[in-house]
Amino acid sequence: MQTLTYRFPADLAPRRRVHVGVVASGDLEILLDNPPGSDVDTHAEVRVRTSVNGFDTVWHDVLERFFTHTPLSGRWQLNDFGATPGVVTLRLRQVVEAATRTEDQT
Amino acid sequence: MTAPTGATAPTGIDWQQVLRRRSFLEYDARARARTLLDEGSMRVLCGPFDRLESPWLEPQGVVPQADDGVVIARGTVDDQAVVVASIEQGFLGGGIGEVSGAKISQALCLAAADSRVGRTTAAMLLLETGGVRLQEANLGLNAVAEICSALLELRPLAPVIGVIAGEVGSFGGVSIAAGLCTRLIVTPQARLGLNGPAVIEEEGGVEEFDSSDRALIWAIDGGEQRHATGLADMLVPDDADALRAAVREALAAGVLEPGSHRSERLDAFASRLASLDPARPPSPADLRTLWGRATVPAPAQEAGAAKPTAATRAASGDSRGQTWLAALADGVQAKPVIPSVLRADTHDAVYLAVVADPSNPFHRARQGQVGLTECLALAQSIRQVLDQDADAPSKRAIVAVVDLPSQAYGRIEEMAGLHQAIATTVDAYAAARVAGHPVVAVVVGTALSGGFLAHGLQASQILALDDPGVEIHAMHKPAAARITLRTMEELDKLAKTVPPLSYDVHDWARLGFCDGLLTVQNANTPSDADCEAVRRSIADAIDHARGGPTDLSNRLDSAAATKTRAASRKVRQLLAQQWTESTAESAEDGPAHGPG
Repeated sequence: MQTLTYRFPADLAPRRRVHVGVVASGDLEILLDNPPGSDVDTHAEVRVRTSVNGFDTVWHDVLERFFTHTPLSGRWQLNDFGATPGVVTLRLRQVVEAATRTEDQT
Repeated sequence: MTAPTGATAPTGIDWQQVLRRRSFLEYDARARARTLLDEGSMRVLCGPFDRLESPWLEPQGVVPQADDGVVIARGTVDDQAVVVASIEQGFLGGGIGEVSGAKISQALCLAAADSRVGRTTAAMLLLETGGVRLQEANLGLNAVAEICSALLELRPLAPVIGVIAGEVGSFGGVSIAAGLCTRLIVTPQARLGLNGPAVIEEEGGVEEFDSSDRALIWAIDGGEQRHATGLADMLVPDDADALRAAVREALAAGVLEPGSHRSERLDAFASRLASLDPARPPSPADLRTLWGRATVPAPAQEAGAAKPTAATRAASGDSRGQTWLAALADGVQAKPVIPSVLRADTHDAVYLAVVADPSNPFHRARQGQVGLTECLALAQSIRQVLDQDADAPSKRAIVAVVDLPSQAYGRIEEMAGLHQAIATTVDAYAAARVAGHPVVAVVVGTALSGGFLAHGLQASQILALDDPGVEIHAMHKPAAARITLRTMEELDKLAKTVPPLSYDVHDWARLGFCDGLLTVQNANTPSDADCEAVRRSIADAIDHARGGPTDLSNRLDSAAATKTRAASRKVRQLLAQQWTESTAESAEDGPAHGPG
């Protein structure tokens, strides 16, 4: 297991906290929230815990690409159980959808 | 109870319906819970943002999940209050650890507390699990005992409905809980059993159970077979609407009469076992004819493994279990209930031990394992004491003398439903405890896995000898190493920092459910002083049990528990707090969720 932390500039505030996914084989769960009193209004603080060691560069590149396109701020927690970059990106997009929807629905 | 359309033979499949249906199996734990509740009524408690992770996984290099893989939600079904515990099968195979287990047992305890004061709250358990999470071994094993105890607390007050949909199915200790449910719903994709096929193959060899034989696995553990042999109540196709309808029907039927639960029907269990010849085991298909769905006893039959056929055949050998049973019963001659279950009655206590029986007709239970007949003999003995003392001012103590290698890992055991057999024993022990019998377990040798869940872990006081030969664990070390993908050396090294993994009784005593670690000079051949000391400790434990709670709450309040089981205590406290807060509310839970 490896823990990685990243910080990206981000100025788009999530409308709500979001949880997607499962720590299952080939999948990951993502939690995004915006705890009061932190400086995560202007940044995305990302903490990744992954079961697969040695993919620091891949994680950095996937996340950097995502936050360049989608500067969604807040505290991000990714609990990964061997998801491929494609699955990671899919889960990230799900978070964006849920966090930026205007109507309050499940 | 009838199964909804399409649940029976393949020829009965309505393809239009199959195409229209929403597959329940494709849902994750949260979506499953939501689907079964009234629309918009679900409120998640102790959800991912409470971040109640297992504290034991990261130190072992395992990525935790924010809700530890169990969704607890309150809601309604047909406007009746229900709490759901839904296990996420994707996370560590649905394995039950300290936190996930505490969430389930506390949810059941809170539902019972509400039901007692007129706010009747039923429970639904969505069981998809391999059993105890081996990374948290002894804490997981205890968590299962606590789940069973809490389930039995709620069951007389409000129905507890078990649902096993698949794909993982329900195995290990959690299947004992399935055997305790008011009603059990399965799909054809569900599997239910105590020992998984791979574990039986590891323990008993490929001739005992070929775990690559898919047809055999499904013929024995499959939902259709369990339903056809009366070990599950409703068989429902993998269709969210059909499952919701089944759950509504099961909940509407309410609680069962005391004594009529599957795990209380010792008469039916005995008559079933009597019809089973271990020398010529029936095929799974024959078992359907032999047993059928009925849970009432069949007419008395000749022969039978369940009969104490050889009461004259003294259970030979000098195992610790026998040695200590003789020592503790203080001059009273132990008598065989069956050759492998010994009982000694003193004026104020009944001592029970499972011992080796080299001639046991069930060959996988010859070394003192807890098998089908052992479960029945234990349950019958305990129920007899309960009946005899029903009106007694002071109820006799029941002392479980524990020295058992494990439960029986065998094909016939799984086919006959060893999980259900153990459920009857667990039910009997818990019933005795709740009725006010002091129940004390004293571990004098090995106490492993399902065997210990059956015979020991429902006690209100647990004592253990301080001796290297005393070993308490969820699985034999070689098997645990294989399943967690480690070497035995790695396991030993990890156990030094992760106490629930340890096989050392000192580490076990630090987990919070040891009520006494007893020093003896010689655990194999105890001296008079040893016997006297242990007898005195048991007498103290009996006093404690008489004055203490009749549930298992002391396992959370002990000095060791406040330290080692901090996570369990936090779960209990937070869940209770959120339960109270949610009592008046009924809205959907706060955070938005993506479609995943």
